[in-house]
Amino acid sequence: MTEYSQQSMSREDLIAALSQDITPVRRVRPREGAVLIGFATIIVSIASIALTGWWSGLLTGEASGYFLITNGLLLVLGAASTAALVKSALPRVGPRASAPFWGAGMLAILPLGVIINLLSGRGNHAYNGLNDPFALHCTAASLGAAALVAIATVLWLRRGAPVSLERAGWLTGLAAGSLGTLAYGITCPLDTFSHVGLWHIAPVAIAAFIGRLAVPPMIRW
Amino acid sequence: MIADEPTLARLMMAAQEGDRAATNVLLSEVGLWLERYFRRRLPPHQIDDLVQDVLIAFYTKRATWDPSRAFLPWLAAIARYRWVDHLRKVYKHDGKELMEEDAVEDSEEEVVLARVSLDRLFRQLPQKQSEVIQLVKIGGLSISEAADKTGQSESLVKVNIHRGLKKLATLVEDAD
Repeated sequence: MTEYSQQSMSREDLIAALSQDITPVRRVRPREGAVLIGFATIIVSIASIALTGWWSGLLTGEASGYFLITNGLLLVLGAASTAALVKSALPRVGPRASAPFWGAGMLAILPLGVIINLLSGRGNHAYNGLNDPFALHCTAASLGAAALVAIATVLWLRRGAPVSLERAGWLTGLAAGSLGTLAYGITCPLDTFSHVGLWHIAPVAIAAFIGRLAVPPMIRW
Repeated sequence: MIADEPTLARLMMAAQEGDRAATNVLLSEVGLWLERYFRRRLPPHQIDDLVQDVLIAFYTKRATWDPSRAFLPWLAAIARYRWVDHLRKVYKHDGKELMEEDAVEDSEEEVVLARVSLDRLFRQLPQKQSEVIQLVKIGGLSISEAADKTGQSESLVKVNIHRGLKKLATLVEDAD
């Protein structure tokens, strides 16, 4: 954009210069953004399996319902956020998808459930969750995976022209946080309600806030 | 007479394919559309700068228009985005007021067309915020003059401008 500075030329001169330099462009297609983010998630999942090992319990039926529900919700939130995110790279005036934020609300029920369990006095699992020795490891590993997915989303947004930077920041955090946590989460053999309900959800919330703060300056145009 | 939506969309498709003549016509038409879009929402002496700024953004980001979608809402989103950015920056060094004699006489229809989208954004702000933004950022009043006129303290005027511009930035995609 600095190539054409309007300070020193009239509008007619600017239009003439822009027209003279016109070249065919390849359209920015939301589908390509979704493929890029999906591909990044697969790469991160493979890297996660390579680094921490494959947990066979996922396929043998050993995994608890909480594990399956949590990772299923992460997948749905990741898909909804990605769909909204790739569309947000194209300028538009019109209705905006609210599904990612409802999805995030649904996901928040899990830690809320753990807390209610804790307050009800019947929450041995919840106490275990709060004193979980693997809490930091799972949170950090999920955030590391999320960071790699976030790189793909930011690269995509920079190709486009997002006009609502704060929203794009939230969506980046939600998409990268949920997909990154999912990519790491499928290798984590800890499947209690308190563990997945707290430490596989916290990275999504943290990533969303980091996305809101860090992404807008990177995608401003 | 500014070209209509189907004509602009056809020109845009040709521009995306690298057609120079179509690009030249399109940029001229878009320039006229933007001039009307920003009228009354900026002091006249700033309109051409912003129109050129948007033309450059429009040109640089032309790959983001999808021919299966309407052209003007896409253009309006870019225009709103650059307008909010402009409001944030422009009065840092320039305090020229919008003078009555600068105002352009328009037919009622033109005024409505030119103002509707940006006015809708303003209407979504709390009245205290939109009032001080219009007085300071568009009318060119100083903070203290706006404070006197509205009865708000100078600090409150600054806070309301800051919060209002922040909110405007989040409303760029809102439908008319």
